[in-house]
Amino acid sequence: MQEIKELTTPFSEEAIAALKVGDVVSINGYIFCGRDAVLPRICKELKEGVWEKRGIDLRGGVIFHTAVSPAGVGPTSSNKLEIESSFETLSKSGGIKMHLGKGAIKPETVKMLAENNAAFAIIPPVTALLESQTLERECVAWPELGMEALYRIKVKNYQAIIAAAKGRSIYE
Amino acid sequence: MPLLKGEAYMSDIINKVADCLVRAGSTFREDQKAAYRKAIAEEANGSACWVMRQVLDNAIVAENNRSPLCDDTGIPHLFLEIGKNRTITGELLEEIKEGVRMGLRKLPGRPMAIKGDDYARIDQSGGLIEDSGALDASPILIKSVDEDVLRLTILMLGGGPAIRGITQRVFHKHSVDVVIDEIVNRAIPAVSQLGCSPCTLAIGIGRSQFEATSLMMEAMVKGDFGVQNDFEKRITDKVNEANIGPLGLGGKHSVLATFAKVGPQRASGVRIVALRPCCCFEPRRASVDI
Repeated sequence: MQEIKELTTPFSEEAIAALKVGDVVSINGYIFCGRDAVLPRICKELKEGVWEKRGIDLRGGVIFHTAVSPAGVGPTSSNKLEIESSFETLSKSGGIKMHLGKGAIKPETVKMLAENNAAFAIIPPVTALLESQTLERECVAWPELGMEALYRIKVKNYQAIIAAAKGRSIYE
Repeated sequence: MPLLKGEAYMSDIINKVADCLVRAGSTFREDQKAAYRKAIAEEANGSACWVMRQVLDNAIVAENNRSPLCDDTGIPHLFLEIGKNRTITGELLEEIKEGVRMGLRKLPGRPMAIKGDDYARIDQSGGLIEDSGALDASPILIKSVDEDVLRLTILMLGGGPAIRGITQRVFHKHSVDVVIDEIVNRAIPAVSQLGCSPCTLAIGIGRSQFEATSLMMEAMVKGDFGVQNDFEKRITDKVNEANIGPLGLGGKHSVLATFAKVGPQRASGVRIVALRPCCCFEPRRASVDI
């Protein structure tokens, strides 16, 4: 049985710096959920310097690449164009420390994450289990996108495996 | 089966179909659980074991709560088997459709029906319908069987495997080995790109795209993780040699099983092969006698 590292949001710089590829982590606290439709909108506002007006603090946070529907949550592929291209702005300008999804990401994304002391983690698509570990859910921006809006959820013991950290990838 | 259909009988069919859909979307069959337990016991890669334990734990929670195994709850695909003394009426088909609608609301299915005309449905510009029950099932596949049954099987087919599925010809060169090698060559990148593995490979081999896909559907309806013929086992073993592993994290269990159905073949040098890399929850299926 693998050792599981406990993490609670917001993550400190030290907590992320201690992670290495292959670690299994248990994520607790508030995390954000968004995917193809909403992530480019967040990046646009971060780049334009207007994100702060929303009063949503992303620093030390997790962005989980999922829709939030009555069926629950589950990771979509993080290497989709709109999702992987959001990593840099979300980490550099927004302070996101963990991108949570599935699938292999590009070497340049792995490098960028290391430069910003951020990580990419893979979470199995275990919707029923995740639903039993989701304590709260709230739509916090762009409700017109429905299940693809930006959500903030409170989670307990979401297990994930570190797939990219410190310039290394689990897919090497 | 009663000749006259009263209200109670009709509602009984709707309820049975709805319950069948919920089971399909929320329940691992025993052979599926056993396949996972066996793979976990035999897998040396720790990350691969962790993924497969998570998938199995998820199945237990989903079954207990009758809740979706995956947030992509899938598109209902219907397979109806009918014995020679049974009848299918337009009324029965309407009841099945109503049962599907009710089941999607109960599961609940992810609201995935697209609004609008042909163009709006293609580019998704008209938005989504919020009602889970608005999702149309695929056309029903009907097969006559040598049993006294009218049996409906519901498959819930997710989007990831649909993206990576391939239906294409193989020039067989009068060799089964050539066909197997081509299937393996197509399956390895498909399994690798799918992400949500370990997979089950569903395969149909026929004379046209329609027939091959129909046979692949039947393979998903009838496949058993505990019963693998030589053809299926050879494909599974060869794909597993690629060491892709669950979620692509490495390990020898990229594929848990292969469900293949070989139909009648054309007198020619070509075979049409339909291949679907079913995700770690698929085939999500349940059957009911109606």
